[in-house]
Parts: sequence; C-alpha cells; structure tokens
Amino acid sequence: MLERHSFVINWLANPNRFSKLTNKLQIPLLSISTIMILLGLYYGLFDSPKDYQQGDAVRIMYVHVPSAWLASFLFLSLAISCVFYLVWKHPLADLISNSIAPIGAVFSILTLVTGSLWGKPMWGTWWVWDARLTSMLILFFFYLGYILLSNAFERKIDGSKSASVLAIVGIINLPIIKFSVDWWHTLHQPSSILRMDGPSIDKEMLLPLTLMMVGFSLFSLFLIIINVKTKLLEKKCEALILKLNLKEFS
Amino acid sequence: MTSSNSSWSFVFVTHLKRDFLINFRSLIDLVSIISFMFLIIILFILGVGPFKEKLEIIGNAIIWVGLILSIIPSLEKTLQKDFENGWFDQLATSSIPLEIVLLSRSISYWLIVMIPFLFAAPLFIILLNIELKAVPWLLLTMTIGSLAISLIGLNGASLILGAKRGNILLPILIIPLVIPILIFGVGVNEAIKMEADPISNLLLLVAFTLIYLVISPFISALLIRIAIAR
Repeated sequence: MLERHSFVINWLANPNRFSKLTNKLQIPLLSISTIMILLGLYYGLFDSPKDYQQGDAVRIMYVHVPSAWLASFLFLSLAISCVFYLVWKHPLADLISNSIAPIGAVFSILTLVTGSLWGKPMWGTWWVWDARLTSMLILFFFYLGYILLSNAFERKIDGSKSASVLAIVGIINLPIIKFSVDWWHTLHQPSSILRMDGPSIDKEMLLPLTLMMVGFSLFSLFLIIINVKTKLLEKKCEALILKLNLKEFS
Repeated sequence: MTSSNSSWSFVFVTHLKRDFLINFRSLIDLVSIISFMFLIIILFILGVGPFKEKLEIIGNAIIWVGLILSIIPSLEKTLQKDFENGWFDQLATSSIPLEIVLLSRSISYWLIVMIPFLFAAPLFIILLNIELKAVPWLLLTMTIGSLAISLIGLNGASLILGAKRGNILLPILIIPLVIPILIFGVGVNEAIKMEADPISNLLLLVAFTLIYLVISPFISALLIRIAIAR
C-alpha cells in the first residue's frame, strides 16, 4: 500500500507529467466549476427557501460557508505539501504550497468580509470579537506570515523551508477554528452540516450549498494548477537564461 | 565529548551563563525593554484618558500587551549576531546538541526580560492602580507567561535568520502564536479581580508554557539547521 502511494506521488512529482496531466484537466475543471457556481448561485439566490428567522440574509451563507471551508482546507493542504517539501525535498511541493497560500489568504478575507456583511443585519454589528471570527482572522495572519516569510530572502528558495515550518506550526489554529463554536459560547452559530447526527440544515438549502462548495473547491483547484504552471514556466525561463549566459561565457 | 546526561547539563549551564552575561553586560536590552514598556503604558494611559475607572478595566491587559510588545524588538539580535559570526556553524558541526543550546538561550533571554520587569513592576502597579491582593498573581502569571513568550520569540527569531527586513517580519510571525498566552494570562488576573477562581486559567497557562518548553527548542534547532544550510 505504502509503495503504491509513493509510486503515485513519484509519478506526479515529475514536472513534465504534471503539466501534461493538468493541461488536460484545466478546461474541464474551469467549465465544471463555473457551471456549478452559476447553478448554485441560481438555486441559492432564487430557488431556495428563506430562513424563518433570518429572511433573505441567509443567502450570504452560500458564499460565506464555502469560502470559510476552503480557507481552512487550503491551509491544511498547504501544511501537508510543506511536510512533503521538508521530508522529501521535492521542488514541486514547494511550488504547490507557494501557489496555495495567496488563494487561501483571499478565501479567508472573503470569509471575514461576507461574515461581517452577514453579521450587520443579524447581530447588529459588523464585527464581534467572538472566538470563531478571531481564529479566522489569525488564520489570515498565518497565511500572510507564510507569504511574507517565503519572499523575505534574497533567493526565493531560501525562505521556503522556514516558511514551511511556520505553516506546519500554524496547523494548531485549525482545530481551534473548527471547535471554537463548541468550546466557547459565541454569537456564531454551531456547525449544521458536518455533525454526528447528520446535517440539521434544510434539504433545499443543502443542494445549493453543496453545489457552491464543490464549485468553489474545483475553481480553487483550477487556480492552484494555473499558479503552479506559471511558476514552473518561470523556473524554466530562469534555467534557459542561465544556460544562455553560460554559453556566452564559455 | 560523550553524550551522557551530565555533559548535557554542563553544556546547558555553560551556555546559560555565557548568554546571560553577554546580554547583561551590554545593558542595552535591559534599558530598552524597560523603557519601551513604560512608553507603551504611557501611550495607553494617554490614549484612554487618565480616568481611574477606565484604567481599572484595562489595566491588566495593558501590562500584558506591554510585556509582549517590549520583548519583541530585542529578540532578533539574540540569534542574529551568533549566526553571522559563525558560532552556530561551529556548534552544528560539533557534538553539542543545538536543542540544548537553544533551550538555554531562551531561558537566559527569559531571565534578561524578567529582571527589569520585576524591578519595574511596583511602578507599573502604582501607575495603573492595581489592587494589592492581585499583585502576587500578576507577577506569577507574568513570570510564567514571559517564559512562554521567550520560547516562542526564539522560534520567531530563528525563522527570520538571514532574511531581509527580518525585524519587520518578526512581530507578524510571533504575535499570532502568543495569543493563547495573553488570553489565559489576562484570564487569571481578571478572575482575581472578579474574585473568581483563577485556577483553571492558570493551569492552562502553565500547560501551554510547558508544551512550548518541550517543542520550542526542537523547532528552533531545526530552523537554525535550515538557516545554516542556506
């Protein structure tokens, strides 16, 4: 089993194979995610019931929940790819984590912004210093720290390892975000989808929410792939320039 | 050198003495920490306005924020010098474990921070009108909390070794990690003020500090090995 896993990883770790595979994936990913997000927006905005307490404001959920989920999930994948980079020292893992970080940071900002837009009509304030909101803000600062640290060195590659350690340490924030609504009594409502006794959310709301979640995830996967490919090309360009310079020199 | 326990403790004590003396004799750290903390408190008091009721509410928080912020600026220097003059390269190639050196360094840094703080504490307490019965608790939590902050701070300092503009980066990296210490430290002092039971917050503060005490030297050593390999 382990051998097979490492085989899959090794197979993907080749940059050329990675490009070939992702070239094929790119268009389907973009089209499927666009369709899903459009469908999800239609169902979410026009064809789903109002909340009996929150009215139409509940529709912010269809953007807020997927982006919050992705912000935390992307941080987890960032940390995992950092582990891959630290342990197996594969350069592609570093490129992947560098590509994930800005996208995750944007999703965490999106979460905070949509959350405060939702909070104004519901709680009467843009922001409360509640555990969920605060830990999400801290997640954003972990993303920011990762991005800044990995760019803080003369050569880009120098910062990668230190920044990877930071990302792995930052994982302790994820359970705090997840369980903050259970551990402390907060204004933020507890989870209504991933529960032991099944989702407590209405079926008609669950459909657009699922569509949006899958659409958002596929779209961010698309963005990550584009990012990684750009960085691969940059590296190739650097190598070419280096080669040309060497030729001139000799 | 054989790697027996006795020689490790020897390494620990020798390094503790060395780092402590280097920092203590330069005196700049002591003066900068204490004056920085005073200035932060003065800024807060002037910003809030010198009303006794308001200061009573936020007094504990001001001291904690002052402690955290005053520790950060001098952190970068603790490792930077030894990194630049090759001391860590020497250590890494010798049989002395880097983890022990870094543990002793964070503890010596903690002592350096605590000495000025304990001397200045009576003044802060008078300036902020803190009740007498809360003072021992405040000093206790500060002592524990500043150990944790020094350990985290050393992690941060080893993260930015060799980075450009590292001193600007340092607060962004450290402050998110320090937040639990702040929460539980202030929690103890607030519980004392409300005459509630502070023990749960105190235990959590100690638990966090102990966890950091165990893992932080390993993280710092890993980061320094990474920095040396650059």
